[in-house]
Amino acid sequence: MGKNVWDMLLGFFAWCCAILLVGSMILIIGFLILKGYKAISLELIFANTSPLEALLFKQQVFGGLFPAMVGTFFLILLSIGFALPLGLASGIFLAEYAPDSIKKIFSLCFDILAGVPSIVIGLFGFSITVLLHHSFNSQIFPCLLISALSLAFLVLPYIIKTTQVALESLPLLLRLTAPSLGATKLENIFLVLLPASISDITSGIVLAIGRCAEDTAVIMLTGVVAVAGIPKSIFSGFEALPFYIYYIASEYSDQFELMKGYGAAIILLLICAVLFGISHWVKEWLTAKTRFSY
Amino acid sequence: MQHREHIAGIIFWGATALSAGVTLAVLGFMVILSLPIIKNDMILEVLTGPWSPDHGLFGILPMIVGTLCIALLSLVVSFPVSLGCSIFIEIIRPDKPGRFLKKFVKLMTAVPTVIYGFVGVFLLVPQVRGFVSHGSGMCILSASLMLGLVISPTMILFFSQSFARVPKTYLNAVDALGGTQFQKLIYLLLPQAWPGILTGIILAFGRAMGDTLIALMISGNSVVLPTSPLDSARTLTAHIAMIIAADFDSIEFKTIFVCGGILYLMTSFGIFLARFSAGKQN
Amino acid sequence: MKKITVTKWVILIAIFMITAVICSASELDSFTGEKGVLRISGGTAHIPVMKEAARRIMIFNPDIQITIAGGGSGAGIKQVGEGLVNIGNSGRQATESEVSRYGLVMYKWAIDGVAAVVNPGNPVKKLSGKQLQDIFAGTILNWKALGGEDRGINIYTRDESSGTRAVFWKKALNKGIISGKANFIVSNGAMKSAITNDPYAIGYVSVGYIDKTVCPVRVDNVAPDLDTVKNGEYKVARGLYSNTRGDASGLAKKFIDYLLSPAGQGIAAEKGFIPVD
Repeated sequence: MGKNVWDMLLGFFAWCCAILLVGSMILIIGFLILKGYKAISLELIFANTSPLEALLFKQQVFGGLFPAMVGTFFLILLSIGFALPLGLASGIFLAEYAPDSIKKIFSLCFDILAGVPSIVIGLFGFSITVLLHHSFNSQIFPCLLISALSLAFLVLPYIIKTTQVALESLPLLLRLTAPSLGATKLENIFLVLLPASISDITSGIVLAIGRCAEDTAVIMLTGVVAVAGIPKSIFSGFEALPFYIYYIASEYSDQFELMKGYGAAIILLLICAVLFGISHWVKEWLTAKTRFSY
Repeated sequence: MQHREHIAGIIFWGATALSAGVTLAVLGFMVILSLPIIKNDMILEVLTGPWSPDHGLFGILPMIVGTLCIALLSLVVSFPVSLGCSIFIEIIRPDKPGRFLKKFVKLMTAVPTVIYGFVGVFLLVPQVRGFVSHGSGMCILSASLMLGLVISPTMILFFSQSFARVPKTYLNAVDALGGTQFQKLIYLLLPQAWPGILTGIILAFGRAMGDTLIALMISGNSVVLPTSPLDSARTLTAHIAMIIAADFDSIEFKTIFVCGGILYLMTSFGIFLARFSAGKQN
Repeated sequence: MKKITVTKWVILIAIFMITAVICSASELDSFTGEKGVLRISGGTAHIPVMKEAARRIMIFNPDIQITIAGGGSGAGIKQVGEGLVNIGNSGRQATESEVSRYGLVMYKWAIDGVAAVVNPGNPVKKLSGKQLQDIFAGTILNWKALGGEDRGINIYTRDESSGTRAVFWKKALNKGIISGKANFIVSNGAMKSAITNDPYAIGYVSVGYIDKTVCPVRVDNVAPDLDTVKNGEYKVARGLYSNTRGDASGLAKKFIDYLLSPAGQGIAAEKGFIPVD
C-alpha cells in the first residue's frame, strides 16, 4: 500500500504543476483579453483615418497602431530577407559539405550565437552604426535597415539549425537515388533534398518570423522610435508593435492610451499565435504531402 | 558543370564563415569597446564596485548580483513546476490532458516577452505590492515570477525529451518487476535522464539571464546591492537598455560593453556546459 | 443703429477669424515643398509638444517624416552633437563644455518647472524643503513620520541622462544624496504613470505633465504650478530647449521656427508649459 501512496502523491504533484502552469497562463491572457477586448476596433488601428487611404499609404495615421504594424511588417520582411539566404546556405553547407570536425566547430559557434542575449546583439548593431557613422558616412543613423540586420543575426542560428537538421534527417534512400541516376551534388540538393525537407524548413522560418515580430530589446537599441509614422525609407526610424506595447506600459498618459496598449498587446499576441499555428500546420500538412510523394 | 558545382561549394562555405564571423564579431566588439576600461586598470573597480556616476563610481557589481539573483530565483520558482509538468507529460500520461499540455507548452514559446512584462506591470506588481505590504511591488520577486513562466517551456520540453529518450526496454523491465511509477521515476528515469535535465536547467538559466524586457519593466531598476527578494534591483540587460542613451565618450557608456561582454561570456559558458551534459546522455 | 453695430461686430469677428486661419496656415506654409526626414530625440518633457507639432506638420505636408525618440536630455545633447539626430532636446541648459565641444546652439521655446509628486490618495501633500531632501536621501523612510500611513516610502528617480533629474537635484535637493534604493524610471511619462500606480510613491515630474492622476507636493508652502513658476515663487524651474549643432538650418530651422511661432507657442501652452515671450 505504501507504494501506492507515493504514486498518488506523484500524480497529485504532477497534476498540480500542470494546473498551475496552465492556470497562470490563462490568468495572464485572460486578464489581457478581459481588460482589452473593448479596445479592439478599426479605430484602434486607423484612428480617424479611412482604412483604405491608410492602406494605400495615401494618408498618414496619427494615434493609431497602423504605423507600428507597418513598421513591424517591414522589419520582418527585411530581416528574413537577410537571414534566409545566409541561413539556408550555411545550413546546406553544414549538412552536405562540411567534414565532421569543421561541422562541430561551426555548430558550436551557432549555438553560442543563439544563446547570446538579444540586447547584446542590439548593442552590437548600435556600435556598428556609430562606428560607420564616424568613419564611413555621417548619413548613417540607427534605422530600419540596421534593426533588420541585427534581427537577422538574432534569427540566423535558428534558420541554420532548422535547415541543417531537416536535411540531415532525410532518409539515406532518398539521398542516394538522384546521384545514382547521374545527378550532380547541386542538383541533388536543390531538386531533391531541399524540396523533400521543405516542410520542416518552412515551419522553422515561420517561427523565426515570430521571433522578429516579438523581439523588443534589439530594436530598442537600433532605431525604433516613439513616433515616426510610416517609414519613408529603410534609412529612417520606425515604429514597431512590441516597442509600442513597452512604451505604453510605462508612458501612457491617460486611460485612452492605456487601452491602446492593451489593444496592441492582444494584436501582437494574435499575430504570434497565428504564426505559430501556421508553422504547426505547415509541418503537419506538408510532411503528409511530401511523405506521399516518396 | 564542374565549375558551377565548385562555385556553389564556395558560396555555401562563404555564407557559413560569414555567419560564424558574426558570432565572433559580437564578442570582438564587446571586448574592443571595453578596452579603454581594461587598459586603464579600471576593470576590477568596475566589476566589484558600486554604481554612482555622481561620485565618479561606475561599478556594475549590483547589476551582476541583480542578474544572478533574478535568474536564480526564477529557476527556483520554475524548476519544480517544470519538472512536475514533464512528469505529467511523460510519466503520468493522462491521454488527452497530456497531449494538450505538451501542445500548450509549445504554444507558450510563441508568447512575446513584452506581453509578460505588460501584464506584470498591471497585474502582478500591484498584487505583490498589496500582498507583501512593503515596497513598490517592483522587485526581484515580481520579475522572477514572470521570468519563471517565460523559461518554463524551455525546461519542460527538455525534461520531457530526455525522459522520452530513456529506452523503452528499461521501462518495461521496471514494469515487469512490479515497480511503481514513483520507483520508476526515482530509480530509473531521473538517474538516466539527469544530463538532459541539467541541459534544460542551464539553457533556461541562460534565457532568464538574457531577458531584458521583464526585468526592465518590473524589477524597479535600482542600483544598490539587493538584500532581499522584495528589493528593487537592476539586471545587466536592463542596465544596457538604460545607459545606452548616455554620452558615448563617458565611462558610463563604456561600462555597458563590459556588461555585454559578461553576458556573452556567461551565456557561451552555459552553452559549453549544456553541450557537455547533453553529450553525456548520448 | 444697433443693427449696424451687430453687423459690424460680425464682420470684424469674421475678418479676425479669417486672418487667424490664414496666419496659422502661413506658419506652416514654410514647410511647403519640403521633403525628407527630421530626427528628434532627447528630453522626455518635450515629447507631447513635439508630437503635436510633428502631427500638424506631417498632415500639412505628407512628404516630411518627423521621428521622435526619448532618451533624456543628456542623450539629446550627445546625439545632436554627434550628428545622429537633427534636433536634440534638453530640459536643462547644455553645459559650457558641451556647447564648445559641439558648437551647440540652444533654442529655448518654453519654461517649465519640476515638481515633487505623490499619489493623489496620499494624505501627505505638504513638505518642507528639508523633509523633501531627507526623503530622497533615504533618512525619512516611512510616510507615518510625515503624517501619512504606516508604509515605507517608495522613491522614484530618473537616470543620469535626465535633465529633469539634474534640475530637481540642483534646485530642490540642493545637490543632496538620492538614495540608491530608489527605483529608476526612464522618462517623465513613465514617472507619472509609476506614481499613479503606486499609492506610497514619491517622485518628480515636469509641471507640464501634472494632471489629476498625480498630486504635486507643496514645498515650503509653495504649490508648484504654472502661476508660481511664472512669477518666480516656485524656484525649481527650467527652460525647455531644442538644440542643434551650429545654427539650425533646413527642416530643423523651420521646425524650431514653428515652435517659436504663435501656433507653436500655443501648443506649448496647451500641453501645460509656459510660452516664452
